[in-house]
Amino acid sequence: MKIVEANAGALTNFEVLDLLRSRGAGKDPTRVIASVSPSEFKVFDYLEQTPACNQTGEIVHKFVDECKKYDLAKAEILNVLNMRPSSAVEVYTIIEECDSRMDEKIDEYVETIVRSLPPHPSHM
Amino acid sequence: MFFLSELEQTLRLPPYLLNQPLNEAIKGELDSLFLDKVIEKLGLCISVYDIRSIDGGLIFPGDGASTYTVRFRLVMFRPFVGEVISARLKESTKDGLRLSLGFFDDIYVPVPLLASPNHSEPDPGHKDGVRWVWEYEGENYPIDGTDEIRFRVHNVDYPPIPLEHGKDSDQKDSEQKDLKPFAPMVVTGSIDADGLGPISWWV
Repeated sequence: MKIVEANAGALTNFEVLDLLRSRGAGKDPTRVIASVSPSEFKVFDYLEQTPACNQTGEIVHKFVDECKKYDLAKAEILNVLNMRPSSAVEVYTIIEECDSRMDEKIDEYVETIVRSLPPHPSHM
Repeated sequence: MFFLSELEQTLRLPPYLLNQPLNEAIKGELDSLFLDKVIEKLGLCISVYDIRSIDGGLIFPGDGASTYTVRFRLVMFRPFVGEVISARLKESTKDGLRLSLGFFDDIYVPVPLLASPNHSEPDPGHKDGVRWVWEYEGENYPIDGTDEIRFRVHNVDYPPIPLEHGKDSDQKDSEQKDLKPFAPMVVTGSIDADGLGPISWWV
């Protein structure tokens, strides 16, 4: 086995969920017919519990565009997409040195998140 | 949390798979080889993303199977340091917490990385179990298994595979039964910051 490229790109939770859904993970109640293995089903079950279950490709693209004006690192945008923080406290943990980089804009950012990304159905 | 990694593997395709279309047969072999296994420094393999190229198809002398050199991409679970992840409590002991993601169970939050100040009380429900309680502004906030716990990744470790315990197994049989199964990938997390810990503390 040879590693050609250890890091060929990061994936958001939504993209992995989409990949599993395209193989038929969500549609098969018996979990035997789809070409998805039991370990992949465990990942599918976990991802359905996260905010990624409601996202679509357009929502994600639009949100990444809106994040550009806040000058965030890719890892931070990834974290926000996966976690969908709905308050300033939650954003503090994700973004490093939040006070110095965002100061006043933090409330505006939280509002952008709450507006663009749908919440998880059980949290509504 | 998830990354793509590109790998190349020399794959021997057993003859009983000759009636299947090549792509499916190779994907099946790759699945059985990599799925749910940990590759050092790359993480836990979740799924085969796609197959980039298949070369070869040579048959070595004396062998009935053909050998292919396949290039493919795998979806790997590899949390990066500083990432915030939501998990469920699996067990709580005097050494700290153990969290689980369903597909991955070896996430430990040792005592120094718990929310401080805190104290522990013995848990009546489980033998050897300990319940951790965070003290903040006079209020006591317990960590119980009811809701999801957010933690920040502190470190990801790939301990080397241990050598055989086989030699001393006669004498140490009783100790062996208590040994935890070997964990090839261990994630250490921290909940010592604002916004981390059970979601019910912050909402």
